[in-house]
Amino acid sequence: MKPVRITRVSVVSALTAATALVAPSVAAAETTITVATHYNQEQMGPLLACFDQYTAENPDIKIEFQQAAYGDFLQTILTSRVGGTSPDIYNIYSVWAPQLADAGTLDEPSDEMKDWIRANYGEGSVGAATINGTLWGIPTELSVYQLFYNKKMLAEAGYDAPPATWAELKEIAAAITTKNDQGVIERAGYVYGPSVANAVHVYYSQMYAAGVPPYSEDFRSTNFTTPESIEIVRRMGELFAEGITSNTNITDDFAGGSAAMMIAANWNKAELQSVYGDEFEATVGIAPIPNDGGDPGTMLYSFLWAVDSTSDAKEESWALLKWLNEAQGDASLSCTGEMLNDLGALSGNLADLASMDTDDSFTKPFVAAIESGAAKSQPNIWAASENDRTLRGYIEQVWAGNMTAEEAMAAADAEVTAVLSEQD
Amino acid sequence: MAIVKDRSNWSKLGTVLKYTLLTIGAFVMLAPFADMFLGALRTPAERISQPPVYFPRDPQWGNYLRVFTELPMLRWMGNSLFVTAMVTALQLLTSAMAGYALAKYNFRGRDILFRSVLGAQMFPFFLFIIPIFFILRYFPLFGGNDILGQGGSGFLNTYAAIILPFSITWYGIFLMRQFFMAVPNELMDAARLDGAGEFRIFFSIALPLVLPGLATLGIFVFVYQWNEVIWTMTVTRTAPDLQTIPVGIYLLRGAFIDQSTRSLQQAALGVSILPVIVTFLFLQRYYVRGLTAGAVKG
Amino acid sequence: MTDTSPTASEQMLSAAREDLIDQEPPRRSLAARLSSKAVAPWIFITPMLLFGAVFFILPLLYAFFISLTRWNSLSAPKWVGFKHYEYLLTTDPVFWQTFWNTMYFAAASIGIGVPLAMVLAYAFTRSKGRTVWRSIYWLPMITNVVAVAYIWKFVLDDRYGLLNRALGFLGLGAPGWLTDPNLALTSVVLIFVWMQLGHNMLLFSAGLASIDESYYEAARLDGANERQCFFRITVPLLMPTTLFVLITNFISGLSYFTLMLVLTDGNGGPLRSTTVTALYMYKMAFEDLRMGRASAVAYLLFAVILVITLI
Repeated sequence: MKPVRITRVSVVSALTAATALVAPSVAAAETTITVATHYNQEQMGPLLACFDQYTAENPDIKIEFQQAAYGDFLQTILTSRVGGTSPDIYNIYSVWAPQLADAGTLDEPSDEMKDWIRANYGEGSVGAATINGTLWGIPTELSVYQLFYNKKMLAEAGYDAPPATWAELKEIAAAITTKNDQGVIERAGYVYGPSVANAVHVYYSQMYAAGVPPYSEDFRSTNFTTPESIEIVRRMGELFAEGITSNTNITDDFAGGSAAMMIAANWNKAELQSVYGDEFEATVGIAPIPNDGGDPGTMLYSFLWAVDSTSDAKEESWALLKWLNEAQGDASLSCTGEMLNDLGALSGNLADLASMDTDDSFTKPFVAAIESGAAKSQPNIWAASENDRTLRGYIEQVWAGNMTAEEAMAAADAEVTAVLSEQD
Repeated sequence: MAIVKDRSNWSKLGTVLKYTLLTIGAFVMLAPFADMFLGALRTPAERISQPPVYFPRDPQWGNYLRVFTELPMLRWMGNSLFVTAMVTALQLLTSAMAGYALAKYNFRGRDILFRSVLGAQMFPFFLFIIPIFFILRYFPLFGGNDILGQGGSGFLNTYAAIILPFSITWYGIFLMRQFFMAVPNELMDAARLDGAGEFRIFFSIALPLVLPGLATLGIFVFVYQWNEVIWTMTVTRTAPDLQTIPVGIYLLRGAFIDQSTRSLQQAALGVSILPVIVTFLFLQRYYVRGLTAGAVKG
Repeated sequence: MTDTSPTASEQMLSAAREDLIDQEPPRRSLAARLSSKAVAPWIFITPMLLFGAVFFILPLLYAFFISLTRWNSLSAPKWVGFKHYEYLLTTDPVFWQTFWNTMYFAAASIGIGVPLAMVLAYAFTRSKGRTVWRSIYWLPMITNVVAVAYIWKFVLDDRYGLLNRALGFLGLGAPGWLTDPNLALTSVVLIFVWMQLGHNMLLFSAGLASIDESYYEAARLDGANERQCFFRITVPLLMPTTLFVLITNFISGLSYFTLMLVLTDGNGGPLRSTTVTALYMYKMAFEDLRMGRASAVAYLLFAVILVITLI
C-alpha cells in the first residue's frame, strides 16, 4: 500500500498549494511606492541611499526599486500596465511619453507641481516632457549627441584637430582603420552600434546639424527623402562599403580602445572616465557633429519622472519625487542630481546643473550646445519606438549595401508616415 | 581467406571512422561549455586586454560564489524549483487521470475525445501566448478582479500565472494512456469483484503499476519546465520576485554590460544548468522511454 | 485491500456532497454512485476538460476574435474584420520576409540536423561506452536556451570568439557569424541543430534498436561492408523513424523563436535576418501593443503549419 499513500499525500498537497498560489505576492500593510528605472543597482546607488533616508523620515512609506534593461524598459511598463501591475513611479524616455499619455497611462501633475517644474527646469527639458501643451513629469537626465574622438589615435595618424566635415571624417577614419590577418577590422576609424539609437539618434543628430529637422512640424510626415537626409545615409553606407567600419565594430569599442570616432551622447562619460582614469581628458575629445559648413546642430533627449495614473499612491509618489529633486539639507545637489552627476550625465534641473562639475573639456561642449540652442529636442512623435526601429531597419539596409540611400529612405518614409497617420 | 581479411580491414576502417566521428561530435558538443566555464574564471583585466586573454592566468573561482551573493540566485533557484515541481505534479495528476479514463473505460464520446487529444498536439504554443495572457489578466474574481474581470490584475504577478497554463499537456495524456493500456484489465476486474470503488482502483492498483510511466513523464516535464523561457518571461517581466533562473539572468542583462560583470554572467549561466544535469544523469533512462513512445506512434 | 480508511478523493467528495445534496440519498449510495463505472471516467477527465476549456478552446476563440480587431490592450478594441489578414498578406513587406526566414530556418535545420543525427546515431549504437557518449550528446538538449544563446554569443564573437580564433590559427578568414545579415540565420540554424542533435540521435538510436541484427549478419555474410550496410539496410529500414523526425522537427522549427529572441536581445537582427514569424508576432504584441495584428500573424502561421502537417 505504500505507493498509494504517497500518491494521496501528493494529491492533497497539490490542491493546498494550488489555492495558496492565488494569494497576492506583496502584502500592503503600509504605502508601498514602486520605482522603476532602467538604471541598474550600481548606477542607482545615490538614489537608493536617498530612498532609505526618505523611508526613515516617513515610516509609513515603503519604497521598492525595480530595474529593467533599457532595451526592455518600455515593454516592461506597457506589459505591467496591460497586466494592471504598474509601478507607481517610472523614469521614462521622453519620446515614449506620447504613446503612454495617449493610452491614459500617465498621471497629470497638479498645477502646483507644474509651476514648480517650470520654475526649476530649463526650457528645452520642459519642452521634452510636454505633449500637446500638457506637462507630464519632471525632467531628469539630458543627453546630447556630439562627435567623440580619440585624441591619441588621431594624433598618431597625423591629425591634430577633429574633422569638421564628413569628408574629413572619412579621410581620418580610413587612415586609422587597421585589419587583422583574417580581414576583420581590429581598430575602426568610426563606429556605429547594435541598438536602435546607435543608428537613429546619430541620423537625427546629423539631420539637425544639416539644418533639417527629421519630421515635419505637425509630426505627421517626415523629411527622410530630402537631399540632405539621403546624403547623410549614403555617407553612412560608404563607411561600410569601404571597410572603414562594420557591424562587428561597435560603440563599446571606443572605451575598449579599438575605435577612434563615434557620434554618441554624454552619458558615456562615466564609463570612459573609469576606463581612461587620469588620461581621460588627454584621450577623449568632443567636437560638434561634422556637417558641410553652416551652424552647428545636434539632438538632445530627456528622461522624465512620471507617475502612473492607476497608482494607489499618486500623492505620495509626487511628494517623493519632489523631495528627490530638491537639494536636501546643506547638500548642493538633489538626490536625482547626485545620481546623474555620478553618471557624468547632465540634468535638466537648473540648480543641479549649476552645482554640477561641468568645467572639464569633455562636458563643456555639451553644456554649450544646450545653452546655445544648437541641441534640438528629439521630437515626441507618435509610436516613436516603433518608428525608430523601422528607420534603423532601413538604415541598416544601406549599411549592408542591399539598398541605395534613396530606396531605403523612400521606403522608411512610406512606412513611418503610415504609422504617423494612425494618430487621431 | 583473402576476402575475409579484406572485410576485416574494411570493418576496422569503419570502427576508426565511427569513433573519429563520435569524438569530433563530442568535442563540438562540449567545447562551447568549456568556453563558458573558462570565461567565468577570467578577471576583468584579462577581458579588457587587447586581445583578451583566453586561458585565465589567475582563475577567479570566487565568481561562482559571487553569483550567490551579488545576484538573487537563491530566489531564482527557489522559484525555478517551486514552479517546476508544481507544474510537474499538476501535469502528472491531470495526465494520469485523463489517460486512465481514455484507456480503461468505455464511455460515450471517448474516441472523439481521444482523437481530439491527438489533434490538439498540433496546436503550437505561440498561438496561445496573447489570449492566455489576457485570460489570466481578466480572470473573474481573482487577484482583485470583479465578476467581469475588471479592477485588479487577475492571476498576473502570481505564481499561478506561470503554472496554470502548463497544467495539462496533450502529449502527457497520450503518453499516460499508452502506459495504462498495458495494465491488464483482469487486475481491475478482480478488485471490482472485491467491492473496491473506481477511485480506489485507480489510486491503489492502476497508478502503482504505471510508476515508470509517471517517472518518464515527470522527467520530461521537469526538463521542459526548468528551461521554459518565453511564457515565464512574458508574465514575470514586472515581477522580479517570481522570475526563474534563465528568465532572471536574461532580464538582468542590463547589469552585465561592462567587462567586470561578464564573468559573473557566465558563472550564473553555469550554475543555471547544473540542477538539470544532475537530475538528468540519474533519470535519463526514463527520458528515452518518453521520446520513443511518441516515435512509435508515428 | 483491507484498509478501510477513505481515500482523499472520497473525503473531498463526501464533503462536497454534504453542501450540495439534501439528506435524502443515503451517504454510502452517493459515494458509491460517483465511484461507479459509469460516472468515474467523467470525474477522471474533468480536470482535462476544465483546463482544456480555459487554456485551449477559449484562447483559440479569443485569439481569433482579437485578430479581427485593432487593440492596443489599454483602450477598447476596434472592430476591423479581416483587415489585418489582408494587410499582412498584401501590404506588409516584413511579414513575408519573416515567413521566408521561418521556412529557411525549419528547412535548413532538418536538412543539416537530421542526416547528422542519423549518422551519429548509427555510429553511437555500434560503439562502446554508450552511457558516456549519450551524456555528452545530451548536454546541449537539457541546457536552457538563455545559457545556450550566451554560450554561443561568446563562441561566435567576430574578433575574439573561440571559433574565429581557431579559424585564424588555421589561417582562415573570420566570418561575422552573428553580425553578417547573410550569415546570421544560418548561424542560428547551426546552434539549433547543436541543441537538438541529442534529441534526434536518441530517436534514431531507438529506431535502430528495432532493426533486427540478423539483417546485418546476412549482409555481412554476403560480403557487404559497413558503408553498404548503412545505405542498403539502415537507411531504408529506418524510414518510419526518419519520417517522424523530419515532420516533428519541421513543425517545431516553424514555431520556434526563443533562441532568436534571446540571442539578438529581442531585435531579430541584424537587418531582421533572424526575425522569424513567431518572433515578429511576439514583438508586435508585447513591444508595439498591436494585439490584433499579432493575433492575425499567429493564425496565419498556424494555418501554414496545419497545411504542411496535413500534407
